[in-house]
Amino acid sequence: MLKLEPIIWLLFGAGMMVGGLLLPAIVLVLGIAGPLGFAPAEALSYERIHGLATNPIGRLVCLGAIALPVWGGAHHLRHVWIDFGGLKTDGLVGPVLYAVALVTSVAGAVAVFQL
Amino acid sequence: MEGETKKTFVVTRFDPDQDEAPRTDTYEITVQPDWKVLDALNHIKDHVDPTLSHRWSCRMAVCGSCGMNVNGEPKLTCKDALSDYGDTVEVAPLANFPVIRDLVVEMEGFMEKFKAVKPWIMVAKERAIEEGTYRQSPEELDAFKQFSMCINCMLCYSACPVVSAEPDFLGPAAIALGHRYNQDSRDEGNAERNEVFRDDGGVFACSFANECSEVCPKNVDPSGAVQQAKLLNVIDWATGLVVSRGGK
Amino acid sequence: MSNARPRLDAMRPSQPGPTRTADPRPPDKFPGRGNYLGYVLFGSCGVFLLLSSILVLRIVWALAAGEAAWNDLMAQFQNPIYVAYHVLAFVGLVWFTLRFFSLFPKTQPAKIGPAPRPPDAFFAVALNGAFAVVTAALAAILWGAVL
Repeated sequence: MLKLEPIIWLLFGAGMMVGGLLLPAIVLVLGIAGPLGFAPAEALSYERIHGLATNPIGRLVCLGAIALPVWGGAHHLRHVWIDFGGLKTDGLVGPVLYAVALVTSVAGAVAVFQL
Repeated sequence: MEGETKKTFVVTRFDPDQDEAPRTDTYEITVQPDWKVLDALNHIKDHVDPTLSHRWSCRMAVCGSCGMNVNGEPKLTCKDALSDYGDTVEVAPLANFPVIRDLVVEMEGFMEKFKAVKPWIMVAKERAIEEGTYRQSPEELDAFKQFSMCINCMLCYSACPVVSAEPDFLGPAAIALGHRYNQDSRDEGNAERNEVFRDDGGVFACSFANECSEVCPKNVDPSGAVQQAKLLNVIDWATGLVVSRGGK
Repeated sequence: MSNARPRLDAMRPSQPGPTRTADPRPPDKFPGRGNYLGYVLFGSCGVFLLLSSILVLRIVWALAAGEAAWNDLMAQFQNPIYVAYHVLAFVGLVWFTLRFFSLFPKTQPAKIGPAPRPPDAFFAVALNGAFAVVTAALAAILWGAVL
């Protein structure tokens, strides 16, 4: 774990930055406004969103929103765990959280590339 | 005298020869309007209970000896006005430290952490006297000056949730001091200090609660120092991957 | 020579002193006191970052799987529990980001390489401005208001 701390911290910082910029709008429109019927249904149609996501910038946004914030989340949760007395199990909980982040990022990269 | 009021002090007591664990004693005394918490403790020791032990020296927020938790908050008691408190004031030793007696904490562990960051100027080769003095511009001084204002009062360690949860953590003041030397234009010891910073319990153990900076009585920003040290260590680490480092 | 420090038990010295000591106690009022609470909530918002990443992954998967899968996912999102969670996640993410940006200037040293550090006001304007612009633009694009 030792030598990985700098790279994890870098991903963590980038994740907070990119996640903070991209995720609120995505959650707001696709998770709240769409389902509640505020956003026009045709705007959220398969074809339109597929078109947006397959645009080169759209792909970059999708990749950034998947592959980085997940590290921010995993690292934060690991530290909350430690703060509440979880140091003894950090050897298990830390790697599990980072593994979730790694798998999500790789899956995200593959999914965005193949879209 | 005008403005005199009575206050009740609930003070943590611990006698290693008799007490299994710390307990509290309660003292009701008359306090003067301009007293600090330390004045009340001195009054209790001088006039009420001479067995009370606490550390203090300068009474002017310079020596850093009189840090204690007052109503649960780490405070420099010589700087902490009693008028800010209600009728009952709880005084306890600093949290996160073993207690030697009453309000006196064991600071040896803290001193070891201090030593670990090598808080002195390191140069590869000492300059000869005839080569003149080390010059430093005001901008170069500004890069580290605030981090050199620390008085080692240890309030930041008492406030830090990471020191509590991860005892091996170097802690706010020690990292701020190491960072102070890393930022000093005269110093060449970054590589050595960064090894300590990147070790287990180093800068990356910090989770940026920021409470150290909140409680600092000298307005040093230790949490800023730790985050800056993280960033500089990431850069240092990444550079180290590309450029292989020569012998020290 | 190794730089390794002796591993310390709490704030205890590596060699015990001449007298018995009482155990260290954790910081008073953790995590209930104001600043601690904000810090713990900030860290806990990590769950929204993590789950929202997975949300976007599911969105991309659904888009890759075709129109039926996409409509299925949109129908799932209409579940009131999902909507309630997304409202909570949205509020959490916005608060998290604003707090992150307010702490961000502290993390910048006086110099990175030769570049001097910009003033605090620059960070506040640049970061909060970027947040407002990116969020508004992305929301407008998804909403169909532009493009």
